[in-house]
Amino acid sequence: MKIVVLVKEVPDTYGDRRLDLETGIVDRAASDAVLDEIGERSLEVALSYADGHPDTEIVLLSMGPESAQASIRRGLAMGASSAVQVVDEALLGADLGLTSEVLAAALQHTGFDLVIAGNESTDGSGGVIPAMLAERLGVPQLTALASVEITDASVSGRRVLDDGVATVSASLPAVISITESLPDARMANIKGIMAAKKKPYEVLSLADLGVVAEREDAPRSIMIAVSERPPRGAGVKIVDEGDAGEQLAEFLVQNRLA
Amino acid sequence: MADFGSNPILTLLEVRADGQLAKSAAGMLGAAAQIGSPVALLVSDAEGVAEQAASLGAQQVLVAEPGAELTVPVVDALAAAFELVQPDAVLVSNSVDGRDVGGRFSARAGLPIAVDAVGLSRDEEGVVVHHSVFGGAFNVDSAATFGPLVVTLREGAVDARAEAAPAQSQQLTVTPSGARAATIESFEAEVAASSRPELRGAAKVVSGGRGLGSAEKFELVEQLADVLGAAVGASRAAVDAGYVPHSYQVGQTGVSVSPQLYVALGISGAIQHKAGMQTAKTIVAINKDADAPIFEIADFGVVGDLFTVVPQLIAALEARKA
Amino acid sequence: MAEYRPPLTDLRFALEHVVGYPEISALPGYEHADLDTVVELLESYGEFVTKVIAPTNRIGDTEGVQYHPDGSVTVPQAFKDAYRTYVETGWGSVPMPQEFGGEGFPRTVGLAMQEMITSANMSFALGPLLTQGAIEALTAVGTEELQRRFLPKMVTGEWAGTMNLTEPQAGSDVGALTTRAVPREDGTYAITGQKIFISFGEHDLTDQIVHLVLARTPDAPEGTRGISCFVVPKFLVNEDGTLGERNGVRALSVEHKMGIHGSPTCVMSYEGATGYLLGEENRGMSIMFIMMNTARTSVGLEGVALAERAYQDALAYAKQRIQGRAPGSSEPSPIIDFPDVRRMLLTQQASIAALRRLILLHGVQVDLSTHHPDAAVRERASEVVALLTPICKSFGSDQGIELTSLALQVHGGSGYIEETGVAQHYRDARIAAIYEGTNGIQAADLVGRKLPVRDGASALEFIEQLQALDSDLAGAGEDFAAIRSQLETQLGTLKRTTQWMLRTGVSDPRAVLAGSSPYLRMWGLCVCAWLLAKSALAAASVGDESAAEQLVLARFYAQQILPQVSGLESAAVAGADDLYALDAVPVR
Repeated sequence: MKIVVLVKEVPDTYGDRRLDLETGIVDRAASDAVLDEIGERSLEVALSYADGHPDTEIVLLSMGPESAQASIRRGLAMGASSAVQVVDEALLGADLGLTSEVLAAALQHTGFDLVIAGNESTDGSGGVIPAMLAERLGVPQLTALASVEITDASVSGRRVLDDGVATVSASLPAVISITESLPDARMANIKGIMAAKKKPYEVLSLADLGVVAEREDAPRSIMIAVSERPPRGAGVKIVDEGDAGEQLAEFLVQNRLA
Repeated sequence: MADFGSNPILTLLEVRADGQLAKSAAGMLGAAAQIGSPVALLVSDAEGVAEQAASLGAQQVLVAEPGAELTVPVVDALAAAFELVQPDAVLVSNSVDGRDVGGRFSARAGLPIAVDAVGLSRDEEGVVVHHSVFGGAFNVDSAATFGPLVVTLREGAVDARAEAAPAQSQQLTVTPSGARAATIESFEAEVAASSRPELRGAAKVVSGGRGLGSAEKFELVEQLADVLGAAVGASRAAVDAGYVPHSYQVGQTGVSVSPQLYVALGISGAIQHKAGMQTAKTIVAINKDADAPIFEIADFGVVGDLFTVVPQLIAALEARKA
Repeated sequence: MAEYRPPLTDLRFALEHVVGYPEISALPGYEHADLDTVVELLESYGEFVTKVIAPTNRIGDTEGVQYHPDGSVTVPQAFKDAYRTYVETGWGSVPMPQEFGGEGFPRTVGLAMQEMITSANMSFALGPLLTQGAIEALTAVGTEELQRRFLPKMVTGEWAGTMNLTEPQAGSDVGALTTRAVPREDGTYAITGQKIFISFGEHDLTDQIVHLVLARTPDAPEGTRGISCFVVPKFLVNEDGTLGERNGVRALSVEHKMGIHGSPTCVMSYEGATGYLLGEENRGMSIMFIMMNTARTSVGLEGVALAERAYQDALAYAKQRIQGRAPGSSEPSPIIDFPDVRRMLLTQQASIAALRRLILLHGVQVDLSTHHPDAAVRERASEVVALLTPICKSFGSDQGIELTSLALQVHGGSGYIEETGVAQHYRDARIAAIYEGTNGIQAADLVGRKLPVRDGASALEFIEQLQALDSDLAGAGEDFAAIRSQLETQLGTLKRTTQWMLRTGVSDPRAVLAGSSPYLRMWGLCVCAWLLAKSALAAASVGDESAAEQLVLARFYAQQILPQVSGLESAAVAGADDLYALDAVPVR
């Protein structure tokens, strides 16, 4: 079984995340970059399956700047078999259409039985890449799974929707995305870190994949304006000395909020 | 042949298992109406759905037969509708299903897709999509380089509503694409929702955090919400601790809300939570920890025991109502 | 209590730019330990320590350990769970020799790791630390047979190790020990006697505990010359490696201590227990000396680690505790805005950064002394290791106590309340000045054993090396002028005092001992100031984002802490006369 796990380096949500006000692109200098946590959970799903099926191959796939290597290597240290990273200057600011095209091409390059992705990233919050990939690759997708069962021919799980919970399944090959209900990733240990150094790490360019970024005939989504909201400051802060509840009621009523 | 207007906006509305349009429908049509003429697509065989859509502002309604499988039948219907309507934009909800349909359709049709929009407008060149990113810290506008685009709309983000229109609907013929799809094995509907407002798009939200201490004690949050007519939310810590289901979670990986009033009870205010609520107009926080980060963004903060302050607050509010 | 955050950025900077770690990773045998790998390792280890070890610190303090009538000792469940994960993840084996299943990383890396685990939970960290010491001894002088039988599981941490030296009448005077080792026909020895203050002497973290015991064979010479070292396992080990009979060693009690409550400190009774000779008879002390440098530096590191932990608490507290209005402020101020609080915080921050570099420098010298291909380099590195050991141990532990006390002070009244958490760090730190050779012994070691090396040339060459930084400081501009000036003055003071020590020690050892503690502190202050200056210079020259901050730390230390050296000179050279002028008089 070959499982490809999509991972992405994103600005640390614990840090100061900023967009460059000129280009609208993520300001990578503003905060530390980490592997998006949901990607780690995706990897953990694959690793848990591999625990019981030792001949499972787990490939980490990522598209991003070269500097993301260190983060991706951690995935190797956690137990993935190899990594593929698509790096190309032409991908800076790529929209979802181009991103999905590139990832789909990379998936055709690596081959797969199952693709596991996070349901949405913490920087884009789009949540559409898994479905786009499924369409391009001609396979079924199961997104937003809160639980996953993988067999050698199928994948199933529970999807939590606004009005209920659905149990869904698909035969492989398929694309799935998982939610943060899935367990935290295991920590990398020393043996994993040392073993990771010997694992294959392939870097591909767009040329390697046969994808052209700048195309006159393909419409793209572009950013046309970016602005920063002024940060919030604090207002009144009181310590309860027996009547805070009443003071708060007064505040709400005065501001026509109650 | 129906006339779809000069700027048709093809709007996919979701229909619930009980045959009612999803709560997101009104906002979707309201958003569509801001940039053109809403043409609703309903993939459902429930009775009266076309009429519901029209009453919420759909100028035209297309109805297609639902398929058995997951997503693909809806995408096929959307493709057929697109072909017919030739809209300026295709609008889907940013719900779990909406994203799947929007994503697959945009890939199939080769159209750009803009996600998690909080608003729509037009400039001289065409449709402009408004986004609020990084927990509301930045506002971004996007557009297609040319041609129509697909937009997923954040639930509850658009307040505007379209005027009711006379019901004009037609059945849509859909040719199945035959694309491989997943199977829906079963569906367990959630027990009937209360009369309390839904979290997404609510004007007021009262949220509880770890400070509540238990699922039973979380009731205090609900009591205050009811007095204020607010929706109920929770921090990730409270959800992880099992006080409330995940659907209550407000934050980076939960629901994003932008209400008039957000009351945070026993919530420390970690960055991931703030990302989901810091654009609220007024923020009130009660926490016994004076250094909780939530106080940095609260318009009115109370350092105290919420189990003393909240009952007093409820009593004071009820006294004024009387 | 703030959540512990491993100081990874500072560790990386110190390794890369101050203590010369890149030279270590170029040494034969350490090629796999390149800096990038080490940083990755420290990041993952930092995550492990924060998530798995740090949450157990409080419970170790409040719950402590339990002694049971049957002689067993139980530790908190949280410790057991954490230890199991520790073993499973293999972190303990990182600095251990590859020959025995370790990852073979340099000592320097082991120290960086030790700082983090000690900050997270000093009690917990002691267990693996003691095992490490026992491993070191076995690796150095153990027979193949002993190594094969005991080392593999000690390296993984499945089996624990201890050091048994102290007896009721033999603490600092280890030569006074009376535990007997009687040879048997089969080559083993029967060990009989009582040992006290044995950390992790008995517990339920592991199935086996391997005790290293100092004992005297019949007819052995008196004093330290007659001490031998024995391996005394809790359970005898069968040929096939499985655990066999229970050996004749047991815990009689655990101590109720001021701090490190999570560390079971036992009175151990040896009743004809089977012991295996380690090395040769009467060579026990030299075996102890093999491990002494690493063991003592590790104890100095405990002071640094706790100071760091407590400082993080103090900083967080000072930022949010609002009291009064700082000078020039119209609004209520957090206490961090007040000058005296700033002094306390900056003192901690600068001192901790300096001490961290001191310890890592020692580690680098150890690695050079064991792995550098050039014998002369190894030789000199060994000298520097020996010289710096008492300074690392004594200054590190004294500062640990002073700085944790300062961190507690920042908290005001709440600092004195146990629940706040900072008091635990202060209590935990206190032992570091006492065990592994009291700080008085360290000072005696410095003046009595380390200064006389090559008739003082070893120490004086080292001071000259410190003084050589002057030219770099001269070329670094106005910003470094004050630092340069103070270093010049105080290194001169240190040199002058060293020369007095060397001269006086020949004829009047008592005078030299009288000033040894103040003298050792002079060394600590000088080397620390030097390291901060070197660090600030490096940061400036590579344009590191920390350059501005490091300059402030170096300047503050040079101008406000280093001048204490001048004050200490008087005490260092005062001689012993006044100390002995009064007989012990009763209270007036």
